[in-house]
Amino acid sequence: MRTPGAQVRVALVLSLLVVAHFALRPRLGDPRLTPDFVLVALLFLAIRVRPAWGAVVGLLVGIVSDAVSPSAFGAAALALTIVGYSAGWLKAVVFADNLLVNAFFVFTAAWARDAIQVLVARQLRGGALAWQLLALSPLAALTTAIAAVVTLVLFRGWLRQAEA
Amino acid sequence: MATGSNRYATRADTAVLAACVVVSLVVLALPAGLKDPIAGALRRTVLYPVLAVQRRTARSAEERERLTAVRAERDSLALETTLLPELRGENARLRALLALGGRLGHGFVTGEVLHQTGVADGLTMVLSVGRRDGVEPYSPVLTARGLLGLVRTVDARTSIALAWTHPDFRASAVVEGTAVYGIVRSQPGGRSGELMELVGVPYREQLLPGTRVVTSGLGGVFPRGIPLGTVQGTLTEATGWERTYVLRPAVHPAEAGHVVVISPARAADTVAAVFGSGLPGPDSVLVVSDSTGVRLLPAPPAPRRRPRPRLDTFPPAAEPRQQEPPGPPPASARRPAP
Repeated sequence: MRTPGAQVRVALVLSLLVVAHFALRPRLGDPRLTPDFVLVALLFLAIRVRPAWGAVVGLLVGIVSDAVSPSAFGAAALALTIVGYSAGWLKAVVFADNLLVNAFFVFTAAWARDAIQVLVARQLRGGALAWQLLALSPLAALTTAIAAVVTLVLFRGWLRQAEA
Repeated sequence: MATGSNRYATRADTAVLAACVVVSLVVLALPAGLKDPIAGALRRTVLYPVLAVQRRTARSAEERERLTAVRAERDSLALETTLLPELRGENARLRALLALGGRLGHGFVTGEVLHQTGVADGLTMVLSVGRRDGVEPYSPVLTARGLLGLVRTVDARTSIALAWTHPDFRASAVVEGTAVYGIVRSQPGGRSGELMELVGVPYREQLLPGTRVVTSGLGGVFPRGIPLGTVQGTLTEATGWERTYVLRPAVHPAEAGHVVVISPARAADTVAAVFGSGLPGPDSVLVVSDSTGVRLLPAPPAPRRRPRPRLDTFPPAAEPRQQEPPGPPPASARRPAP
């Protein structure tokens, strides 16, 4: 059973990730390869709640994300809905408290999010689609996984207490 | 990161997932006329504080990066100041000879690109300037290197621009110094944001690699003379009809930090002189503000480099549009087809 203090600490970590997405990420170089801190926050939340809540939160975060790319409005909503639900569903599988496993989990989620989004948006095709899915998206997913690992290392105590 | 629960999804979870997917698909299928107001409302409410934070961060990072350049510029200017009176007199004489008006410090605003994550960034961009800054839909967006895109929707403080990489983007183009016209678009199926296509070039016109392509001014959206890219080679040939060329773009959306948004009212102007004969480098943008407005200056030239023209040297708005076909093309720009 999570205590209110643990929930507050998790909420604080998630808030920090959202702030980092807008305050830190622009300083990290090429925007195509920078980590998606909001996705990390969504995954951290989704594995702590039921799959249904993961889907709902994913839908809301996705719609807000779509507001800054209205030409593909709805694509991120669908992608994050599926990713949020899957993260909540996979929490029974991804149970190991291992940094590498968690990094792989985040990497896969970020790549899947990009794949769903780019396929649903239907704005890229041919070589552009392959370039995005096989080069840019894996690199961005890698930086997102690194960001998740750094967050886990920095806030391990808070996140672990929340699991107790 | 592991959690304490090991239960799989229940029927209720699956039902909620199905509902969320249906909502997503409905949102995806909405017509653009409904999507834009919803997206605009979200940007004005939920996203407003975080975009403000990002705008401030982007500006701060940019200012920090430019600090070194500003110091170099200060030193260069200190040296050049010694020649200022002589140059000023010479400039006045030349401008009088050419019957040129004064510089116009209006008709455009500068802003920052607020890059987002996800695959859609690079196709559309969030700009840190909006209606309150004078941005209007269909305003051209450019950097010191060339055309970046076109404003699509405008909010009070932000706007959404369609980058040239977007599949819907088109620009009427002309080969610099010639009367060879065509349409520029992103290369469909090519690597995203890497290459452009110049389509609709008459078959008899053969362009050499390295030839510069600029906006033609036709269509009333883009002023004439904004660099689009340089010819890399021939892509396809419809024998006897037309050729399609591959262009190396002048500017890539991912590189864009500072941008200039030009008022649509200036679409009839010619800005060719602003960009000069060569494309400036990626580090060539420096924005300053003064009491007369915002001006975009080239970054301080490195020692022993030719100074670049200023972007605030637009001709007066009342000047007649220069749409007449230019004189005979230089031999280096094109050659007759065999």
